[in-house]
Amino acid sequence: MLEKNNEEILIAELIRNINDLLVGKIPKQVELDEKSNPLLNELRDCINQLVVFIKEIKECIIPLSQGNLKHIQISSDNYLASPFKALHSSLLHLTWQAAEVAKGDYTQRVDFMGDFSNAFNSMVVSLETNENLLKNKIAELKDAIDHISTLEGLLPVCAFCKKIRLEGTDPDTQKNWVNVEKYIEDRTKAHFSHGICPECLNKYYPE
Amino acid sequence: MFRWSDLGDVNFGRPNLGQNVPVLVYRLLQYTLKNVLVDEFGSDKANEIFIRGGRLAGIHFCRNLLNKSLPLEGFLSNLQKTLKDNSIGILRVESADQDEMHFVLTVAEDLDCSGLPFENKTVCQYDEGFISGVMEEYTGGIFNAKEIDCWASGDRVCRFDVRKE
Repeated sequence: MLEKNNEEILIAELIRNINDLLVGKIPKQVELDEKSNPLLNELRDCINQLVVFIKEIKECIIPLSQGNLKHIQISSDNYLASPFKALHSSLLHLTWQAAEVAKGDYTQRVDFMGDFSNAFNSMVVSLETNENLLKNKIAELKDAIDHISTLEGLLPVCAFCKKIRLEGTDPDTQKNWVNVEKYIEDRTKAHFSHGICPECLNKYYPE
Repeated sequence: MFRWSDLGDVNFGRPNLGQNVPVLVYRLLQYTLKNVLVDEFGSDKANEIFIRGGRLAGIHFCRNLLNKSLPLEGFLSNLQKTLKDNSIGILRVESADQDEMHFVLTVAEDLDCSGLPFENKTVCQYDEGFISGVMEEYTGGIFNAKEIDCWASGDRVCRFDVRKE
């Protein structure tokens, strides 16, 4: 009679623990009762193990939901926690990949993560494309600035024919003096088209 | 001594059947061989042999299929893509400390172990050796890869701790 009473107490404790789990509470472990039915003790062990596993999950999922990915420990035999381990692992991987992309490694790709893969991979391709466009634009501007800078400074020009002497060349050699059109065209993207201004028109074609 | 050329010219040798075989056939070879090794030498020695085999495979895999001239981040991307392209597994990097040469990697849909039941023991000795071999060939140092966890939410995923010794 006493034994039956003990078993009923144990069953009541186990039911209470399961009910606690169902409402999100972590119950205490149920103590071993050597006198109880071995099957009941086995059930007690299973429920105690379930409590340990759910406690581990609860303790990891809150920091995980807050983005605290380090220091999350779930025991290797807690297979109940597999989806959370998978989520934790994926978040760690994505964090690492995002950090690599931030360092300029655009070879990073996310595989087999559904919509997230598409979004992440598209973002990396866009970043690389935009960076290349910017680099090209910067190179064009730098090239233009280089050309402009060659026209800065003091230009030695002939007082009569207006030819310009090439930088650093012998002033007594005629071939070192070039037309102003050639000088500018060689150093800029500007081109010349020839016309006649009204004053010169009157001077050279008086009729 | 193993050479890459020992693998033969599969395209030439299998003009009709081609490159691919079912995973089942690969595992049949691996697990029957392991069974014989366990019977012959015991499980510790068999595991050690599998790690050594995996290491040799990783060294030659890296030497012949990976681009060792890439910086580490690019190399890991290259490894990830090559493992996927060869249907070996889905590699993901959880962390990589270049100064300490310490990495935590996971492999999902692994050729060796995905779909196997959980038996509270690691089964990926060949993978441990393979990852060590790849990193050794890439860096020139000695590496130790250890399976530290595995889980399943559909597929089985194994987590490896990889350190330079």
